[in-house]
Amino acid sequence: MADAEIDNNIRRLRFEHGEMTQQELADKVGVTRQTVNAIELGKYSPSLEVAFRIALVFKLPIDQVFSYRGKLKR
Amino acid sequence: MSFREKSAWISFVSILIVFGYYFTTVARAMLGLRQESNLFAVLVIAIAVLVVLEVVLHIVVAIQSPRDARSPRDERERMFSLKATQIGFYVLIIAALAGIFTMHLGAGRRDVGNAVLLAIVIAELTKYGAEIVYFRRGA
Repeated sequence: MADAEIDNNIRRLRFEHGEMTQQELADKVGVTRQTVNAIELGKYSPSLEVAFRIALVFKLPIDQVFSYRGKLKR
Repeated sequence: MSFREKSAWISFVSILIVFGYYFTTVARAMLGLRQESNLFAVLVIAIAVLVVLEVVLHIVVAIQSPRDARSPRDERERMFSLKATQIGFYVLIIAALAGIFTMHLGAGRRDVGNAVLLAIVIAELTKYGAEIVYFRRGA
């Protein structure tokens, strides 16, 4: 379920990176496991800084981790 | 459940129990069911019990998850806290004004003091309640 207009591939990327746990990712990024879970589920949109740090963990450009499906306001 | 959510639950339940008891005592005194003279002592004891309850319960929870307890709030937790504080602030303003208004209805100094204290307690309960709701919803 996604409340935010930002999609992400974090769950898939975690599994592709040695089945990294949410706690491991959280420790690397500097947030709680619950925050990683909320981001994964699309319940919480992270700050730009946290989004960049997550992308850095997976060594990917940020747009391969997050994508925006909202529209411009005219 | 994260350490911060447990902390919010501890504060919410502790305040509810301790000040629930205090205001029940105040209400009984106002209805003449109890001697009024020692209400100040009840308030002092209530505050002391609240402090002890909060400290002891937070220590117990911190022992269960020491890493969580040591780490600072992350951005999501700070956002929950700020949003909950904002809601609590509006409640405080309205409840405090209502409490002060009792002065114009003939309430004595002590009753106005208790009304303002009740406003603070309601605002704190609202703040922790809102924080818990944010934690439960996840955002």
